[in-house]
Amino acid sequence: MEYDENGVSIVPAELKKDIFEEARKDFRYEEYVRGCLNCGVCTGGCPPHRFFDFSPRIVLQKMKSKDPELIWTMMDEYVWACFQCFTCAMICPFLNSPGGVIAILREIAVRRGFESAKKVLKPYSRVLLKLTAYGNQLSPDMIQPDFFPDWGPHIGYASTDLAVKRKAIPMPTLQVTNLAWDVAPETMKELYDIFDEAGVFKIIESVDPSLYEIIQDIVDDVRSS
Amino acid sequence: MSENILVIGGGPAGLNAAVMLSELGVNVALVERDSFLGGNPKKFKYKFLFPDMQPADNVIGELIKKTESAGNIKVYYSSEVSDFKENGKKFDAVIKSASGSETKTFDSVIVATGFEHFDPARDAKYSYQLFDDVIDIKDLERMMGENNFVRPSNGKPPKKVAFILCVGSRDRHVGNQYCSRVCCTVSVKQAIEMREHFPDCEAYIFYMDIRTYGFFEDLYWKAMEEHDVQIVKGRIAEITSGPDNTVVCKGEDTLLRGPFEIPFDMVVLASGMEGGPQSPEISNKLGIELDEHGFLKPENVTLSPFKSNKPGVFLAGACTGPKAISDSITEGAAAAMNAYTYAVKNR
Repeated sequence: MEYDENGVSIVPAELKKDIFEEARKDFRYEEYVRGCLNCGVCTGGCPPHRFFDFSPRIVLQKMKSKDPELIWTMMDEYVWACFQCFTCAMICPFLNSPGGVIAILREIAVRRGFESAKKVLKPYSRVLLKLTAYGNQLSPDMIQPDFFPDWGPHIGYASTDLAVKRKAIPMPTLQVTNLAWDVAPETMKELYDIFDEAGVFKIIESVDPSLYEIIQDIVDDVRSS
Repeated sequence: MSENILVIGGGPAGLNAAVMLSELGVNVALVERDSFLGGNPKKFKYKFLFPDMQPADNVIGELIKKTESAGNIKVYYSSEVSDFKENGKKFDAVIKSASGSETKTFDSVIVATGFEHFDPARDAKYSYQLFDDVIDIKDLERMMGENNFVRPSNGKPPKKVAFILCVGSRDRHVGNQYCSRVCCTVSVKQAIEMREHFPDCEAYIFYMDIRTYGFFEDLYWKAMEEHDVQIVKGRIAEITSGPDNTVVCKGEDTLLRGPFEIPFDMVVLASGMEGGPQSPEISNKLGIELDEHGFLKPENVTLSPFKSNKPGVFLAGACTGPKAISDSITEGAAAAMNAYTYAVKNR
């Protein structure tokens, strides 16, 4: 990507048009984008709208404008402000889905390895690694204060003596802290096949090449076992 | 020998059709499902009518009086057409009422079965029936009609009232994509009425579009200019309960203030009009078509909006779609003319 003298990226009009076309061609587009009379029900019911400059009504209006410039303005930080709760789709009188439009745009951002996508997905690299290595999404040893600031002031205490706390759980556990449950190698192989088919590995490669390398090693090991 | 014409439904359209036919010397059988005449305006005690705020009784009361005093209109109260058959160009109908069943032959038929108010409880986001202070357009009309305009929760006069438009209309979620045509004007009328009688009470109207078509626009301007009604663009996303026994309207003011949560003492939902269960029923019984919105379908919406697809069966009033009372009365007369012509031709 090119940058101007102020370090702001210069985005060719062609790229913006491509992105718009890619969104328009998405098989979900017709279902998600219908009529809109700016009634504001979607934004009125939108939880993130209370915290960020984010409005599902604007998302839908920009999409309906068919103006690649306007759609481009959402591709950086804007699309990541959505909680994907789909309250907007639940209440829109036209049955539009602004949340669905966001999903389409996010997928484009991820597929194309946009900086905003990389930044947002960075905290998930630990989860992706855990998932590909063990078939677990979250395990006790991932509970660390740096990664869960939203857990409040007790996260420090919660992250200590994990092995002991694990033993105190009054139900059968694996009694380890790096796993929540055991996943059979056959299941892992099936998971990788799904990831291959769905393009998940490709996405990881585009947003985090170094993570991709580590994951590929694990995948090769499991597949050859 | 006089013609015999059956009129089904004793609301504004059916009453006017019956009165017109009676003046032409026709013997009219007027079948009414309720125990009284006047249809929804009477049932829900509409008090003043837009656009000129004349008492509803001037209109509905007048039509009822004319109907009752006409010697050639037989009114069947609490009754229904239980069986209906074509008989050549004429029709054999069984009229079932408390006093038994009566079979009669009619030269033509006018269907004026009207509409039902949308039940706002069907759209959960408005919390109708959950909070006492959330009422709808017909509830307010009845309160005004009974001179009992107070908050249902505590019996005290409200200080701040919201009117929410398009409830049950223009919304694919509830299955009604159409505009109910009159609710904007009725709500503006109600807001003016409220401001006139209770000047201490603030009025807000939340809208997606205000459709006070034609001369009804006068009311809309008057509401703003003379009655200080706050008109805010934004449909309400949710109604929740608030502090101090208030109901909170949550939405987006798409033109000015952005997201808002405003507490009100009372919320009035402008619930729209539906074909009601009577439309498919009568469509089945008489073998006439129903449209995709649940109303009866005219043969040609522009050329002959008062004709059904079946020769000899005519349509009038809100049974063919949302309509103002004046339109229903006009259609009653138009259907009467058509039913009479058909009857005379096939005598």
